[in-house]
Amino acid sequence: MTKRHVEIAVYAIFIAAIMLAPLVLEPFWLNRIAKYLVYGMLGIAVALSWGYAGVLNLGQGLFFGAGAYMLAMSLKLASPTSLQQGSDTPVPDFMLWNAEPGSKTDLCCINKASFLWIPFQNQWFGVAMGILLPVCIAAVIGIILFRKRIAGVFISIITLALVLLVRLLIIDAQPVTNGFNGLTDLGWFKLFDFEFDPYLVQTYYLVAGSLAVVLVAARLLIETRAGLILQAIRDDPNRARYLGFDVPRFQTFFFTVSAGIASFAGMLYVIAAEFASPTFMDLSFSISMVVWAAVGGRASILGACIGAILINTITASVSETKGFAETWKAIIGLIFVLVVLYLPRGLAGFAHDIADWFVARVNGSPHRAAAREADGVQPAE
Amino acid sequence: MIDTLFIGLSVGSILLLVALGLAITYGVMGVINMAHGELVMVGAYTTVMSGIWLHTGFLIAIPIAFVVTALVGLMIERIVVRRLYGRILDTLLATWGIGILIQQAVRLEFGLSFFGIHIEGLGPGLQNVTIPETLQGAISIGGVEINAYRTFIILVTGVFTLITWFILFRTPIGTQVRAIIRNRQMAAACGVDVERVNAMTFAFGSGLAGVAGVMMSGFKTVFPDMGTPMVVDGFLVVVAGGVGSLLGSVLSAGMLGEINGVVASITNDIVARAVVFGVVILIIIAKPKGLFSFKER
Repeated sequence: MTKRHVEIAVYAIFIAAIMLAPLVLEPFWLNRIAKYLVYGMLGIAVALSWGYAGVLNLGQGLFFGAGAYMLAMSLKLASPTSLQQGSDTPVPDFMLWNAEPGSKTDLCCINKASFLWIPFQNQWFGVAMGILLPVCIAAVIGIILFRKRIAGVFISIITLALVLLVRLLIIDAQPVTNGFNGLTDLGWFKLFDFEFDPYLVQTYYLVAGSLAVVLVAARLLIETRAGLILQAIRDDPNRARYLGFDVPRFQTFFFTVSAGIASFAGMLYVIAAEFASPTFMDLSFSISMVVWAAVGGRASILGACIGAILINTITASVSETKGFAETWKAIIGLIFVLVVLYLPRGLAGFAHDIADWFVARVNGSPHRAAAREADGVQPAE
Repeated sequence: MIDTLFIGLSVGSILLLVALGLAITYGVMGVINMAHGELVMVGAYTTVMSGIWLHTGFLIAIPIAFVVTALVGLMIERIVVRRLYGRILDTLLATWGIGILIQQAVRLEFGLSFFGIHIEGLGPGLQNVTIPETLQGAISIGGVEINAYRTFIILVTGVFTLITWFILFRTPIGTQVRAIIRNRQMAAACGVDVERVNAMTFAFGSGLAGVAGVMMSGFKTVFPDMGTPMVVDGFLVVVAGGVGSLLGSVLSAGMLGEINGVVASITNDIVARAVVFGVVILIIIAKPKGLFSFKER
């Protein structure tokens, strides 16, 4: 028995747990947990770019938000309220409220930029754009930043400024984006004539299944040769460069993959939560994702994922108790300080130590010394 | 045109007041203090509290707020930041947690609200500060009507920038600080007590945040979340100006303030902020070390 077996077992248990959750949960909580599974996916995205690429992206909300908005535009047009505006084609209600008197009630010309919405009448255009747009943005950012060898805290500040910039633009483009209010009152996502009502168990399985696939795919991705090179770059970019690797290419690739996962999460969130809003691009949301990943374990895909789900589930449960919500926020702040100070590897680091101990125990004493020795050399995960 | 430039100047001076403290802590210590905005908030609340409990005027609140936030900053350095030197991204995350703690401490009145005890001036609500009558209204300089309070902000910022400059460049401790900025190990090897200087620098930077808070409280409502957007602005100023360069921070604050003022007068405040973010991003991409940085040795 090796540590590998333990890891596979842990992944299997986690996936089984999220798949069996509907057996014990009522629809209200099922919908909530679905949202937290989406946050778990964000944890994966953060772990990939922060833990493995060493790039602390404080603007992950940009990709989440972009994915969310793209799909939300399609779903908004599919909403019954958009169809009942007295024109042949659907028109979002907020456009009508703000329309200039006498303008034609049609997407083509109700206001100056409303034509952008026309292709979104097809839901699959929204889905495609939800992945393509964030991925292209990420690729461009990645190419520019990594080619210029901008690293560390400067990337964090640029990504942070970028997400706030886009947030402001969305708020300012009120006629097309409904500004501060965001896109609400959305229709349901459709797949072969099946409508994903957020409170149906099928919707939960859509989210849980996606999470399981992304989780395993991300875990396998970091084991590929590219993933190993990426970790080498994280530990010493100059040495990797001297060894002849095209450092920016690897960094850009994983930055983009991480953005893709975040945007996918954004789309799933829209399906489960039925809204998209500029708060997705708030500074505090992007930093929260990093907090979840740090608590769960920044260098562990599964750890970051579980960290996100755990923190949000606990937050939701204690917020039910009146007056405790604010205290819980303070506790989160405290936990965060303590984790950074005393548990830099997060909960996953803890779990790894236990796994080491367990493996050594099962294999008997001769291996125990070897396991301990390996402990000092191997990085987390 | 002149009043637009003037508004830009006053926006810039507020930016500078927030950024001065950050420029020092980040430049000297390599610590990204995300709780800096919360220290500004503490400064604003100190103004509110000293008005209610000590019946002191607005001007007296400036030194009080400086001392209070400097002490809070000293505590943060002693308890948390000290253990994180050299782990810059971890300081960012830990101080974010501290920021939340400070916010909640104010909102929950240090936990006393659970026992039914309420402290006037704290709590989740909004607070207001009245500024002295001499600072209200407008004064006219050369035929142009100028808001008196904005002029006052510019003056205060100028004074504190001068004080900071004096400490950095004309005192023995300032020499040590600049030595640490250039090369920490070498400074330590030459007998500079880096830990002590760091603690003092952090306290001084925090105190400047407190002063910024007092000035903020004069024209904005005071509430627990007010500091969060400021820390971002402050960082953008520092990074664009060049880490560890006082002159760089001054110039970039002035520049970003003017851009904000001019764009806001043409379009609106939201677009102005967006343009400022865009300009900073371009600056960092073109010159990651900032506009006015010196060569590290």
